[in-house]
Amino acid sequence: MNSIESGISGLDEISSSVGSKDGVIQENSATLVYGPPKVGKSILCNQFTYHGLNLDEPCLYLTTDQSMHELQQNMMDFEWFLQNPIEKELLYVIDTLSPLSGEEINTTTTYKVSKINDPTDLMVKVGIGTRFVFKKSNKFRSVLDSLTTPFAFNPEALVIRFLKAYIRRLKEAGATVLVVYTEGVVDEKTEKILKSLMDNVIMMDGEYLTFRSTTGLVGTAEYNITNKGIFLEKGKTL
Amino acid sequence: MMKRTFIPKLDDFLGGGIPEGSSVLFCANPGVECEAFGYQTLQSRLEEGDQGFIFTNVAEPSSIIYEFDKLGWDLETNVENENAFFVDGSSYFIGAPVTGKYGVEDYTQIEEVVFKAIADVPNGVGIINNLSTLIDYLGDEKTIEIIKNWNESAKEKNTILLYIFTQWDYEKDVIKKIKESMDCLIYLSTIEERVIIGQGFMVTGASWTTPSSNMVLFNVIHPGGVKIFIPKILVTGPYNAGKSSFVRSIAPDSVSVDRMALGQVPTTIAMDIGHMEHKGFVADVFGTPGQERFDLILDILAKEAVGAFILVDSTAPKTFARAKEMIKRCKTEAIPKVIVANKQDMTGALSTDQIRDVMKLDQTIPIIPVSIIQNEGIEEAVDGLLEMLYR
Amino acid sequence: MILMIVRVVSGIPGLDELTSSEDELGLGLGGIPENTITLVYGPPGVGKSIFCHQFAYYGLKQDEPCLYLTTDENLQELQEDKTNFGDDLKKYMESELFYVVDAASDIEEELESSDIYHISSVKNPTDILIKVSQGANSIKQKNPRFRAVIDSITSILESNNEMLIVRVLKTYILRIKEAGGTAVINYTERSADLRTEILIKSMVDNIVKLNGNEIVIEAMRGMGIKNKSYEITEKGIIVE
Repeated sequence: MNSIESGISGLDEISSSVGSKDGVIQENSATLVYGPPKVGKSILCNQFTYHGLNLDEPCLYLTTDQSMHELQQNMMDFEWFLQNPIEKELLYVIDTLSPLSGEEINTTTTYKVSKINDPTDLMVKVGIGTRFVFKKSNKFRSVLDSLTTPFAFNPEALVIRFLKAYIRRLKEAGATVLVVYTEGVVDEKTEKILKSLMDNVIMMDGEYLTFRSTTGLVGTAEYNITNKGIFLEKGKTL
Repeated sequence: MMKRTFIPKLDDFLGGGIPEGSSVLFCANPGVECEAFGYQTLQSRLEEGDQGFIFTNVAEPSSIIYEFDKLGWDLETNVENENAFFVDGSSYFIGAPVTGKYGVEDYTQIEEVVFKAIADVPNGVGIINNLSTLIDYLGDEKTIEIIKNWNESAKEKNTILLYIFTQWDYEKDVIKKIKESMDCLIYLSTIEERVIIGQGFMVTGASWTTPSSNMVLFNVIHPGGVKIFIPKILVTGPYNAGKSSFVRSIAPDSVSVDRMALGQVPTTIAMDIGHMEHKGFVADVFGTPGQERFDLILDILAKEAVGAFILVDSTAPKTFARAKEMIKRCKTEAIPKVIVANKQDMTGALSTDQIRDVMKLDQTIPIIPVSIIQNEGIEEAVDGLLEMLYR
Repeated sequence: MILMIVRVVSGIPGLDELTSSEDELGLGLGGIPENTITLVYGPPGVGKSIFCHQFAYYGLKQDEPCLYLTTDENLQELQEDKTNFGDDLKKYMESELFYVVDAASDIEEELESSDIYHISSVKNPTDILIKVSQGANSIKQKNPRFRAVIDSITSILESNNEMLIVRVLKTYILRIKEAGGTAVINYTERSADLRTEILIKSMVDNIVKLNGNEIVIEAMRGMGIKNKSYEITEKGIIVE
């Protein structure tokens, strides 16, 4: 299985240090990025997205916690400028937060909105977006950042159902998917179900990043958030 | 009394329309645009002078009015005139002010409130959008109980109830019970080839008629609503493989188009265009020219095609490379395709296995042996492609 | 190119020095990043309300409007906080800089609403949201930047279904950000479910904890964790 260049400095190298050809994130896999609030999960996803965009790998980005405007600002904090990829129609964003303000939003070919409490409509938009991105390139990424707001606005079970359909749809199309989840937002039982839907799990706790992939690879490394993004120190596999 | 929905083809499938007091379930695959079916039916009934309501737990009334507007319909005026009203089961739960004739601030109130709404529109229509959200809030047993009660009440008042239901991964048992409590089932599905390339609807059950079991492709147009989608099928392949004969065979009324304006300069090409109907499936067929210089057209057509027949001359393996190239051009658009191995009647014709070998094609692309001249295999070829489309 | 995160002066002496970072052109400009939401939390009685007053008042002195949602102290009680607000609150209200949504007054009291003073109730979060949104809208017409305070979210959580408040808060955050505001939200630790606390922490941009002795910046855009000791004096909170 091919692995994807994550774009997170030090992450892909961890496995290669053991001589393994498997990177941490395999192509066409679904990875859960989870941990307490404010540890850098969103930053990791943004870094992953931006790196892909630079490789001309399009990205289908579902933003539920932050508006498109905030996403762009957050990217700018690290000098990840989105203007060019947006012009090249490599970044396709579905924004479920902005409509909450009640105002009508101007959408474009690659910027769509949906309602936070209407997973049916969101799934329609995901289908359309997936098709658009797939036509751009068979090799593409997708990010769902994050499950927090959907869990706040919908019954838990419904969010899980949506998540299953979302992962199925994106994997079928060949995407490599990252899903962000804040630990503690749902109970343990649901968290278990959540993890079982994924191929890999990346856990961040503010100091250490630990990953577990279905290939059996388990590793951990210290990480720092710098003004250029997330950097991993030399890690070790377990 | 039968009430027409004015959704193309649907009323025909329903034997004229929906009888008063019936319950209809629009059961949709996740990803299919299903809300428009409910909204369009309501709009049609309002235009016919009926009254109606929308119970919503997924969007605020103002959002829905905006959706109607995008579809080209003025719901706002109907609401002002009290021909239509909302049961707002969404706003409170997202912290927005509750609007509409009835509001819900607690999920235990929903059953009662919808009873009132049903009673308010006798001989009219009520839309429940969306049933899935109800199940996950109230639990499946309670929801099924409520649906049964609502349907009973609707029968008494002659009100039609339309339920929008997204078929997420609920337990089979739950889905079965929901379906059993409805008078009519309309299934909305995605057509997929790695990504969604189309959507279709099909009446799978009705208590008052035997529905014709056809799936019809549709799109939702803004403005316009639900429109039947006539897909394009490509017929392509190397020169002299039999494309024109194949097109004429499956689309008897096809014509040859000699000139086509591409940009400013008209080009002379021979293209066959026809209309095909096969077992209820309707499509426009485009036979493309085989020469390389027309590959640009192939690219353009492939973008809008939902399927392709690729004709090869079974006696001319030298042309297979060219055929493969044309397959590739269709492949980027990820459309289902079938290789039609023509001229099987002639000596020297390679078998389908041999053809697969030479072309190095994987098993996912069917190769159907055909002899157009002898009228053999054509039906199998068409069946083969349709099966892939409606898998 | 070095990106500067625009900050607003917090109004708490010593805090801005703590938040300044060497990366930012060495100008040492600290403060709360503009257009972000900061959660100020901790046990009861550690100075969270005072923090809110100081934050609001500093802005008012610079002619920056403030949208103040108060749930524990009514307007009169705010006006009595001379330490932070001085006698000036009336003046700021007259010049339409201090905009109050008062969810602490008894509805029975005959208090008139005006353009800049609205009464609401912690039991009616939807109404609070409407009034706050109106406030944000009218401020936004006149000023590109402003401050906003929720003092405190605890009382609202206690009187309602917590998930509903989480959603209302999410909408509040969205509206304030869209209008260009910088907000501070006061929350008493452990006054809500753990789950609710996690949700709130993930919805804000910056998290500041007061524990009576130390102020800890647990998260802030553009910097790592920092802490310092602080005191509550007659002049308000002072960070060492």
